[in-house]
Amino acid sequence: MTPALLAVKSLTVRFSGLVAVDNVSMSIPERQIQGLIGPNGAGKTTLFNAITGLVRQDSGQIRFDGVEITAMPPHRRAAAGMRRTFQAVQLIPQFTTLENVLIGLHAAPHTSELAAQRAVVEVLEFLGIGPTLLRPVAELSFAEQRLVEIARAIVARPQLLLLDEPAAGLSAREVATLDALLRRFVTDWGITILLVEHVLSLVLEVSDAVTVLDNGRLIAEGSPRQIANDKRVKAAYLGEEAHA
Amino acid sequence: MTAIRSPWLRAVAALVFWAALCMVPLATDSYLQYVINLVLVYAIIGIGLNFLMGYAGQFAFAHAALMGIGAYTTAVLATRFGVSYWVCLPLSGIVAAVVGSVGTLPAMRMKRVYLALVTLAFAELIVWVLINWKQVTLGTDGVSIGAPELFGWRVKGDKNVYYVVLTCTAAMYWLARRILESRLGRAFVAIRENEIVAQCSGISIARTKFAVFAISAFYAGIGGSLYALTLGFIVPESFNLFQLVIHFSIVVLGGMMSLYGAVIGAVLLTTLPELLRDFQALQEMTYGAVLLAVIVFLPSGVAGVLKRYGLLPREVLARGWRALERNHTASAVLPDRAGGRR
Repeated sequence: MTPALLAVKSLTVRFSGLVAVDNVSMSIPERQIQGLIGPNGAGKTTLFNAITGLVRQDSGQIRFDGVEITAMPPHRRAAAGMRRTFQAVQLIPQFTTLENVLIGLHAAPHTSELAAQRAVVEVLEFLGIGPTLLRPVAELSFAEQRLVEIARAIVARPQLLLLDEPAAGLSAREVATLDALLRRFVTDWGITILLVEHVLSLVLEVSDAVTVLDNGRLIAEGSPRQIANDKRVKAAYLGEEAHA
Repeated sequence: MTAIRSPWLRAVAALVFWAALCMVPLATDSYLQYVINLVLVYAIIGIGLNFLMGYAGQFAFAHAALMGIGAYTTAVLATRFGVSYWVCLPLSGIVAAVVGSVGTLPAMRMKRVYLALVTLAFAELIVWVLINWKQVTLGTDGVSIGAPELFGWRVKGDKNVYYVVLTCTAAMYWLARRILESRLGRAFVAIRENEIVAQCSGISIARTKFAVFAISAFYAGIGGSLYALTLGFIVPESFNLFQLVIHFSIVVLGGMMSLYGAVIGAVLLTTLPELLRDFQALQEMTYGAVLLAVIVFLPSGVAGVLKRYGLLPREVLARGWRALERNHTASAVLPDRAGGRR
């Protein structure tokens, strides 16, 4: 097995009494798509925020590419090659696609402005949204905005890409396109992906391995096939449906 | 869009524009020339405040005081210590930048209202120092500034001062464009719009804020130094709260997040009061009313309106983006936008 790119050890995050992430350990090997699923409030986004440094853990360690990053501020983690997207698309609405995606290259100090712009054009072509280059993102369709956000996250060619529900709000056809794109990030660009997703079919289809959280705890881990048949997973999801 | 697309035509247009600006003193009397000089000085100051307030969204109230620091650095060094104006000018910018960035360092972690309060107190403190540190500043008596000399050219009178101010404004405008069309300029907007996205894209919030405070103060300092040269005589009261209101009005009325806006604001805010000179009381009330109306009805200022009707070109924060525009008008006609992929 290849060495883990990201290793989370006994991570716990509390919000005034509520344990959002409870003693979670997981590791992601390089060039893999790791799915992360669980019912609402399972702690997926909090785990994301702890990995990217937006919330502080109460205990536990995070290692990224062999380096202990537990105390590193978010912008240094990003500069070290860890990028993410957000559940609700977060773009700068007055900015064009070009400017938004260029933000993603801020921490590439040796890239000239011209080279940075070329990199943006290349990524947009790859994602199939080249023509939006100089349009204000507020004018773009929702699916296009999603892709612009992904472009901003991958334009600097990070080692690790964290996607928080990238399929939310997309049509079935758009989800299929996304599925193919994620695969190509891994095979063409060597990016490792941690994918939080509510659309179970996408996760099970695209992931190499899946981790399941429930109430902040890790309740199952394995291949998509194993997870699809896991009793605890079914219980967690059915339990949620029963409550709803 | 009315922007000229051919790079050659743009170059010619720019040349004509600058040649016309250079010939302005041929058509003015001393008073009109003085007003034009003030417009240029306020353009620099407006650009500086637009960095901080328009682009980076920091509501700091120290800009007038920093302008005062620049003006007094020049006046005191030139008049009392005999330092050459050409040394005083850049030094004024640097002193203001140091005071502005270090002095507001504790304010960096504060959110809007607190930042506003702290910087306002800081500004009052500076004016107080200018009034009371009489050994250096001569207090309320004010300091006069003599005409500087450059290789035998004596910069005396408004028409000569014009060329100094014009050169500086052109240089500062060019520098501002370079900064804004770089990663730093985009980072200013990123920290205003979304600190979380900024951080997760590798932008250090603290470093970016420090940079914008320093750059903005540098512009205020240079503007202050040129202000002293233009007026020839300065007093501490010139840099009080009313001065700050003028700066704010320039940015808000002209247009936040637009360099054109800062220049348009400087033109409006300098010429209108001169026209309304006989109605002092009316003038201050008009400022308040106009400022309020603009904030409510024209949040992007005069520049925003002109851009909407295609009378001003777009401002995209990416250097040389027009070349991309030319290349992309070709691919933009591809019909397949929804599917997109090939």
